[in-house]
Amino acid sequence: MRDDNDDKYVFAACTYFAKNHPGETCGSNGLPLTPSSISILGRAQRLLNIEHPNLCTYLDVIRGKHERIIVVTEVFGKSLEEWNTKFSFDEITNIGLQIAKGMVFLHKQNIIHRTLADDNVLVDSCGRVKLFNYGMYYMTGGGSDVPFPLGLPRYLSPETILNGGGPAADVWTFGIILLELCIGKLWHNLKSGPILRRILTLVHAANPAERIAREHDCFEAYKLVPDYLRKVIEKCLKIYPSERATFEDLVEELSQNNVKQLVDVKKPRGLLGCKLQYLYYWWQLTGGDIQAELKKNGLIKNSPPILSMPIAILLDGCTVGGKSGALFDRRIAKYSLNLLKARLSHIPPQDFYPLMHERRKDYDAVALPKIIRERDTEYQFYRLLWFQRLLHGYPYTAQYIRAEAEVDIPPLVRGDVWAALLGVKGDIEEQYERIDKETPTPTDRQIDVDIPRCHQYCWLLCGPSGHRTLKRLLKAWLLTNPQYVYWQGLDSLTAPFLYLNFCNEARAFACLSAFVPKFLHKFFLKDNSAVIKEYLAKFWQMAAFHEPELATHLHDINFVPELFAIPWFLTMFSHVFPLHKIVHLWDALLVEGPSLPLFMGVGILRQLRDTLLDSGFNECILLFSDLPEIDIGECVKESIEMCRSSPRSISFRRFTNESAIKDPMDVVEIPLEVLLTEISPRISLSDFFSLTCQDRCCVVDIRSNLQYDKSCIEGSVNVPYSGVHLGQHDLKSLGVQPHKVITDAVKQKKTIVIASAEDETAQLFSDYLVKCSVPRVCILHGGISALHSHVPSLFISPLKKIGSK
Amino acid sequence: MTAETIRNATKIFKYFYPTCTNEDILFKLEVPVEIPYDGSTRELVQRVINMFHIPVYLEEELNEKLAHFVSEETKDFHNKRDEKLLNQLKNSELNVEGIVKNWEKLFKENVVEFAEQKGTSDEEVFAAAYHKLVHSPALDTILQVENSYAKTVMNMLKSRDEDIQKLTKSQTEEMEEKMRLLNTGTTEEEINALAAKHFEEQSLATGRWDSQLDALKHTQRATHRSWLMTTLEQYQGETELSTPSNSPLATFPMEPTLLAAPKPRLEESFTIHLGSQLKQTHNIRLVAADMLDLCAVNHDDNGAAARLQPALALYSGELAGAVVLADSSPPRSPLVRLAASSTEHHFDDINTQLRRIVDALRHPVERRNLERAQQERGSGSNSSRSRRALRTGDVYITTHSNLDVHVVFHLVVDDSLKSGDITSRHPAILGLRNILKAACCNDVTSIYIPLLLRDEITEEMTAAWCVRRGELVLKCVKGFVLEAAGGGGAELRTLHAVLPAAAPAVFTAVQYELRTLHAVLPAAAPAVFTAVQVSVCALCTVLLCAQYTVRAVHAARRAARRRARGVHCRAVADTYSLPRSWSSASPEEERSPLRPSDARYKYYRAENCIIVDELKL
Repeated sequence: MRDDNDDKYVFAACTYFAKNHPGETCGSNGLPLTPSSISILGRAQRLLNIEHPNLCTYLDVIRGKHERIIVVTEVFGKSLEEWNTKFSFDEITNIGLQIAKGMVFLHKQNIIHRTLADDNVLVDSCGRVKLFNYGMYYMTGGGSDVPFPLGLPRYLSPETILNGGGPAADVWTFGIILLELCIGKLWHNLKSGPILRRILTLVHAANPAERIAREHDCFEAYKLVPDYLRKVIEKCLKIYPSERATFEDLVEELSQNNVKQLVDVKKPRGLLGCKLQYLYYWWQLTGGDIQAELKKNGLIKNSPPILSMPIAILLDGCTVGGKSGALFDRRIAKYSLNLLKARLSHIPPQDFYPLMHERRKDYDAVALPKIIRERDTEYQFYRLLWFQRLLHGYPYTAQYIRAEAEVDIPPLVRGDVWAALLGVKGDIEEQYERIDKETPTPTDRQIDVDIPRCHQYCWLLCGPSGHRTLKRLLKAWLLTNPQYVYWQGLDSLTAPFLYLNFCNEARAFACLSAFVPKFLHKFFLKDNSAVIKEYLAKFWQMAAFHEPELATHLHDINFVPELFAIPWFLTMFSHVFPLHKIVHLWDALLVEGPSLPLFMGVGILRQLRDTLLDSGFNECILLFSDLPEIDIGECVKESIEMCRSSPRSISFRRFTNESAIKDPMDVVEIPLEVLLTEISPRISLSDFFSLTCQDRCCVVDIRSNLQYDKSCIEGSVNVPYSGVHLGQHDLKSLGVQPHKVITDAVKQKKTIVIASAEDETAQLFSDYLVKCSVPRVCILHGGISALHSHVPSLFISPLKKIGSK
Repeated sequence: MTAETIRNATKIFKYFYPTCTNEDILFKLEVPVEIPYDGSTRELVQRVINMFHIPVYLEEELNEKLAHFVSEETKDFHNKRDEKLLNQLKNSELNVEGIVKNWEKLFKENVVEFAEQKGTSDEEVFAAAYHKLVHSPALDTILQVENSYAKTVMNMLKSRDEDIQKLTKSQTEEMEEKMRLLNTGTTEEEINALAAKHFEEQSLATGRWDSQLDALKHTQRATHRSWLMTTLEQYQGETELSTPSNSPLATFPMEPTLLAAPKPRLEESFTIHLGSQLKQTHNIRLVAADMLDLCAVNHDDNGAAARLQPALALYSGELAGAVVLADSSPPRSPLVRLAASSTEHHFDDINTQLRRIVDALRHPVERRNLERAQQERGSGSNSSRSRRALRTGDVYITTHSNLDVHVVFHLVVDDSLKSGDITSRHPAILGLRNILKAACCNDVTSIYIPLLLRDEITEEMTAAWCVRRGELVLKCVKGFVLEAAGGGGAELRTLHAVLPAAAPAVFTAVQYELRTLHAVLPAAAPAVFTAVQVSVCALCTVLLCAQYTVRAVHAARRAARRRARGVHCRAVADTYSLPRSWSSASPEEERSPLRPSDARYKYYRAENCIIVDELKL
């Protein structure tokens, strides 16, 4: 009996309008009320995570224009309403059993169905049953966020009609559905009023089921129903909810009498074997358009707005005339995967099951910008399947995940990948459970003030569920980190994790807890001035290292990083960029490690370079008070490049979570006061050594020529400090030879290392070079003497060399 | 609803456990739990354990017990409440009829299956037809026809004015003659009689003309509408949409008049970014002109061309609106003269609209005023204003197809705006907020706002005053736009801040303020701007090459027209709006030039502005 239509449609969408707030729209806190559609969107996120064999998976909830909500769900088979054949009692038992199983699951999750009806129980040709759109009551806050009544009159239980009704109302509805399956459609052709009246009169009946059957002249047919089934129906259709059976009871009872075994359907292979969420995602990338089909079916009607203009608005917001609310249409639009199938038809079957140790194919798309790769169906197809594989193996595949994340991260699994990159593992739910997130604390007030200002353009974060969860996360974090205090900006820092793990609070928390020590160690101390100062000083040095001209200009106009960069680093840019940019930025951050943010700061400055060079102090302040659009892809690319091309030691910070460096070759640590005065960063001996070995540096020795002649680093150029005119910012004044060497080095992008006998002269000279716009200037830590004592092999005697020639 | 509201109840969870040393001594634990409990019971257990230092070995048991307790109590809570309701029903304590009626009404008014079947209204049919036609090759003809209709009305208006002027002149002469003869040949009575006669003649003439005008407009409207419907049928009859010889491009070339500079007008456009993290881009155009002039269709150049933009957008989701300051009586709207100067083919004529507004507002306003009067009496002040009058900050709205804007928001104002110091809580500002919100909710994407909330410059309005006022209004408007954007409607893309035409000094001052204080960017980065200037025609050609003839012409014309109107849109903004206008141009979505699968489309989606390069401007 299997027909071809079975597989044709894979998902379906229905749409409705949320309720508008009447009149003046301000809440008690003086902020505008949250639109109902936002509340719905927030609640519905939980539904997206529900998976059960007897429930259709929710795939997406979309908020459209003018408070429209579109719900996309899995669909299969046909609804009971569409099945015209009569079911046998065995089949009815089986269908009932499966419905009851789904309902047990929902009630366990504290979700009341309320809208159970013959048109949302889907049955396929094998007899498998799934409930469709069971979350209406839940997502609309018990129907309070929509203007229309939920459910169909003939399925409403008496207490629901009286505006009561708890989970037991679903049992009543279930009873009615079973009864309908046995004796045919009830109260056919009656209008809503009379139906409701009849249901209410049932309260006087001793046996409502029997009474209904009699009313429909079906008593004979009802008598033919097997005893056990009749008993079940009667147990459901008790007037008092307390007397009704629960779904657990019903499952037990029905399974005792269930004779029909479901045929095991082999899990489809290939495309249809992929996760439904992936299919939906790819389908959208291929150009699948949910709204178009809804429009075609007349479920979205676009009446020209000019025809429904209100005619007046009084001062208090009372609107006269205008739009009358659109009617709620229960119909759904169904979608097939043909589009996607055609798009992926050329993919060989083995590609659906990538192997861990197979050599990966190179895709052409890798060369394109990230933002375009994210929209490429085929590329995302391969990436998603591969990441799915890797994530299955986490934590054992952590290093593979890191390597792949370096290329890019598919947006659909970004939350999982981030957690993997941050090393989140173990029973995070239980750990999170143990933290008290409810007891009021003194910081609550500040948190309450900040949350309604944190990334509120994001529809998830601006709703009540977003606010509540964010607050819980912040409180939990503060409680588990008693050494820290709440600094404004912590909310922004938490937002991306919440955004990616909206229904997985525990993981959002675990990610945050792992992120802070790695990237923002000690930033949230009550007195964090030393940490911030060091960070900004380092940032300033990196700016001088990579953008000497810009740095000089900003120095000259006294536009110091304290004026603009604190929120950048305190929140790892999450306060200054919108979420869709933050995720790309953090993708790189999580892979590259804690020194990247310094270079990202430089990357931002570099993008604004031309404007900044033309601006004075006031213009700069104005510019940064409202940061202009930054091309984040470009910024990330450049900062990674800068980060990788810079010797590690120049971005060394004292306040990190890493263990202290012991090897004197690697040490570059200096007291904070000294650091604050230095323009150019210091390079460690070992970094210098490796640069020398790769011939990627140019050493400028600024000792006197006497000392130089005695012994010097091989390949270095001597510019005696005493002969330099610091006021004259022109390299040519250094002499022909040094000028040529330095300009050549700049051209070849070599690092210029200043080696000196004492630090002060080295600093002054580096400052001089930076002012001459020489990039990549750094100072050898410890100077010549340290190098000589650790790596004497690098030294030669220049006189001898000349002599030997 | 008749049933009582659901009240949550607090139940006490009790738990006992023995001390370690003595089995008989029990620790007693009582925890109040709100039922239904919306948190996690396991979390509650953790809090309880921490708070009361309960031994951890009891954790599992507590978890289980509390979960059980909550689920039982919740069930009980629902069941008890429902039982009470059902008992009330059994004992006939409830108004069953009322409850059922209520449900019936809810179903009938909100759910398709239970609602009365109603077809598409005539208005909607006509709207769809018109929208289709103006996005077809028939556009040109329609505009020409409409323009000629408008000209006829104009001519008649002109002859009316001339006629009445003539009459007045002759009457004045006659009267003067009589007056001269006063005391000699005529008496006062005679003069009075003559005056009465003159008055009668005047009203007769006006009446005659008015009825003629009405008749003309009526005929025009009827003819035009039926002609449109016939045209649509013909147009649909054609199987293939050929670009016939009378293609818009052929008969309606890029006339030089189109590109000719409009009347010199002080104006400048800016781009403004709103929002702290995610930036919304809006265009602000500062313009010194009379608001009514801006609303009027510009008849100076080819009238048909001026009608293009309003006609294309009339039934789209990109409406243009204007805020016009008015006094408390809708029939005295300053717009009446302007709107009556040509036939309204789509909506009721302005007088009918205003009458309808007065009727519809009578009750709500009266009720509101009464409430307010009561409040005010409470606070001591008494207001002598009329019970039915609109108050400052109220807004009434008219719709038009014969103006340059589609929607006019009449903001009721009074003399309080003449004073220097108004705050952001002034009713007129709040009215502005309502307007912007309504604009967003109703797909108005471009709106003219009187920046000073005054139509003319008076003596007390010094430059400093103007700057202060302008800044206040602008600041509030920015806030409102940001707020309205969260409501999920259309985004207000262009804000036209209108200053009185009479004071160029004020314009300069406000312009300076805008640049310095609001961190706005001049809209046209010079290089890009020239590109747009030279490329209007090039754009058209390129688009034509792309074989999307009809729509390309529209788009290009729109671009051209923007130029003609002097809206210096940024190149980015311009190109950004082009694909949109394509896709909204016609119901045949499939023919949208940029397909989602198209690489170019992706790029466009990604960067929004790359198309400029693509078109090789």
